[in-house]
Amino acid sequence: MARIDVNINLNRVEGDLEIGLTLEDGVVTEARTIGTLYRGFEQIMVGRTPRDALVITPRVCGICGTAHLYSAVLALEQAWQVPVPANATRIRNLCLIAEGLQNDFRQTFLFFAPDFCNPRYNRQPWFTEALAAFEPFRGAIYLETLATTRRVVEIVAHFGGQWPHSSYMLPGGVTLSADMRRILACRAVLDEVQRWYEQRIVGASLDDWLALDSADAYFGWLEASAHADSGLGLLSRCARSLGLHRLAAGTPHMLSSGSWCDPEHWAFNAEVRLLPGGFYNGDTGQIEAVDQQLINEHVRHSWFRPYQGGRHPWQGETVPDFQPNSDRYTWAKAPRYGDKVVQTGPLAELLIAGDALITSLHAAEGGNAWLRQFARVRRVALELLHARRMLDELALNMHEPHFLDMPKSRELDGEGYGLVMAARGILGHWLRIKNGQVDKYQIVTPTAWSASPRDSAGIPGHWEQSLVGLSVQDPDNPVEIGHIIRSHDPCLVCTVHMLDTGKRVRFAP
Amino acid sequence: MNTLFWLQTGACGGESLAILSADSPSLEQLLSTHDIELLWHPSLSHASMREHDAIFERIVSGNQTLDILCVEGSIVTAPRGTGLYDSYQGRARMDIARELAQHADVVVAMGTCAAFGGVHAATPNPSDCIGLQYNREQPGGLFPPEWRSRRGLPVINVSGCPAHPHAMTQTLAWLTTGLPLQLDGLNRPKAFFNTMVHQGCTRNEYHEYDIEEMAPGGPACLFFNLGCQGPMTQAVCNSDLWNGTSSKTRAGVPCFGCTSPAFPRDIDLFSTEKIGDIPLRLPLGVERARYMAYKNLAHHAAPARVKDKEMDS
Repeated sequence: MARIDVNINLNRVEGDLEIGLTLEDGVVTEARTIGTLYRGFEQIMVGRTPRDALVITPRVCGICGTAHLYSAVLALEQAWQVPVPANATRIRNLCLIAEGLQNDFRQTFLFFAPDFCNPRYNRQPWFTEALAAFEPFRGAIYLETLATTRRVVEIVAHFGGQWPHSSYMLPGGVTLSADMRRILACRAVLDEVQRWYEQRIVGASLDDWLALDSADAYFGWLEASAHADSGLGLLSRCARSLGLHRLAAGTPHMLSSGSWCDPEHWAFNAEVRLLPGGFYNGDTGQIEAVDQQLINEHVRHSWFRPYQGGRHPWQGETVPDFQPNSDRYTWAKAPRYGDKVVQTGPLAELLIAGDALITSLHAAEGGNAWLRQFARVRRVALELLHARRMLDELALNMHEPHFLDMPKSRELDGEGYGLVMAARGILGHWLRIKNGQVDKYQIVTPTAWSASPRDSAGIPGHWEQSLVGLSVQDPDNPVEIGHIIRSHDPCLVCTVHMLDTGKRVRFAP
Repeated sequence: MNTLFWLQTGACGGESLAILSADSPSLEQLLSTHDIELLWHPSLSHASMREHDAIFERIVSGNQTLDILCVEGSIVTAPRGTGLYDSYQGRARMDIARELAQHADVVVAMGTCAAFGGVHAATPNPSDCIGLQYNREQPGGLFPPEWRSRRGLPVINVSGCPAHPHAMTQTLAWLTTGLPLQLDGLNRPKAFFNTMVHQGCTRNEYHEYDIEEMAPGGPACLFFNLGCQGPMTQAVCNSDLWNGTSSKTRAGVPCFGCTSPAFPRDIDLFSTEKIGDIPLRLPLGVERARYMAYKNLAHHAAPARVKDKEMDS
């Protein structure tokens, strides 16, 4: 294929992360998140056939490839103004939810909870319980999580053939319909996951758990053994006894695109979601409509060719300019919403969507590390509910189309974007097509928002803000940092190092 | 006990997640019943990075035996051959991989990135990625073609994007037995690369009778128009189903040939290059003239239920 030589390219940090901390008397006074890997995905997309985004971009991330695929297909559909049948949206949602369930369970019980098994805590009253539940490759909940998540991604495999990394969403729909066999097989998986979630994770029926709507009611549950002895109950008891509900609020502003396109009302020019999105303004407490035009990225502290201020992704560029010995310190850009640092993820998602329990807990205690993790497990209930709804609707509309073929003549030059709520928060793909080829491709990942460095005005990113003020007892065993960083659901490989009287300590969540 | 160290280089984490889907054996079983001791895995290890650094030091100083080194991810060599676009503690991971490999009994490239360079090495290869012992189809990567690990083996290439879960766990399980492991011409364990993706595809009846799909979303064959590489790609996707459930081609997604050194191709991945009506690239080893004659006959022999695409795939 013909290639055009353009200087717009870039990549986004999904893998490696280091965090540089300055400690004064054991308290974090300054934090810098450092993305240590540059791969250049957006550069790879330039000059390619636009559809190739569906194969290339899911490979940005092994844990949320379905979300990338979903964003990419929405961007293409907008650029080409392609209608999408309701059943295709249902199948896309179902698969995104399955990937989300996989993430929420693995992140919580394979990555976050094992920190409570740290030897530091061997005198805590809950330590034996934590070991029995969360110890890697031994704890009961840990092993059950491995088994359950293995099962839940089967749903993606039913429609996409495999998880991770498939390309079954195409402009105009999905490659496979939901027939009776697939609907029933997926339902069996959901039933099994739901039973486990009810019995082992929350200790209550889904209905009772969803009906729980206030902080006080939840604290009451924590006193009763049904919930207190469950996976989430134990996690909450451990986290709260360590004060994680008082730590690491980070930025007060939150952003959500809204979750799951509404199958009946979604169109490339009508963004209607099943859970509403919005921008939660932490200064006013008001929720405002999302305007993607306000999203912009700064590179003042990143290893990219400098430009002034922030740029919207369609005006953005990513020309590597590696300057390790300067005040620029990362391969991550600094995304901002207007001039605001925002956080995204399940807490933002549920607060903005109006989940009563999360709203009440946020009102009672503000943003904090425990609540972020709690919201992730709470989200599972909504995921299960909506997955079931998608299956029911697919069964009722089984003979409706799953794909509408579009003539090649429709593949015009133009611009498009796609926003979805991935497991870690808002994910956006922006592309421009020129002469039938990708002229620009920009991706802003949830981790980019979270792991943002300082912007042009020197304002630190969300993780950087959330760490300041944290007291670190033992730099050789910095388990406090682990709780905080892992509560943000960092991507798989994350390295943290602390600068403490010149001594560096690193660990990986 | 066989010690295993898992190193991530320029990676998406896809192999680390795919391996969690294996069940015969599972990763848990590798650890509990196949005598593997996981010294380190970046997303699963519980110990602190301080412990990671200590393990690394013990390995490279000869105080810790390293039986199996798994590498996941492309070897990033930019900028200018320094590898610093992918660093750990300011040190290129490329150099870390090289040092660990010199102390490993066996080195396994998990996935096409580590084996051949993979998606990150796609044109224009912005971070100058290569594989451990290949640079795309060219022998020689981080290590030259003649390089051998302590057990006398080249880098074992468990390719795929991601690698098939069982190709990973079964290769590891076999390595712990000490029995010889047969490799193919690309140093891939033959057991997982000696069948075509096409073999076992539920669209085979459509392929057999040359009933083609012109657009996605239908039940028929994806080879003639939609870019499917199944008949040219060696992998177990259709004989050992993904997630115990399905495969891309069964789900109507063309095979992109992700176990091949040339993955991903530069051309449009959803279309088939053709000479006249016949694909430019034919099923592995097939002669063009005979194939044309056979397909012509087959097309005319197609029963109505296939011709009319009444059969599910």
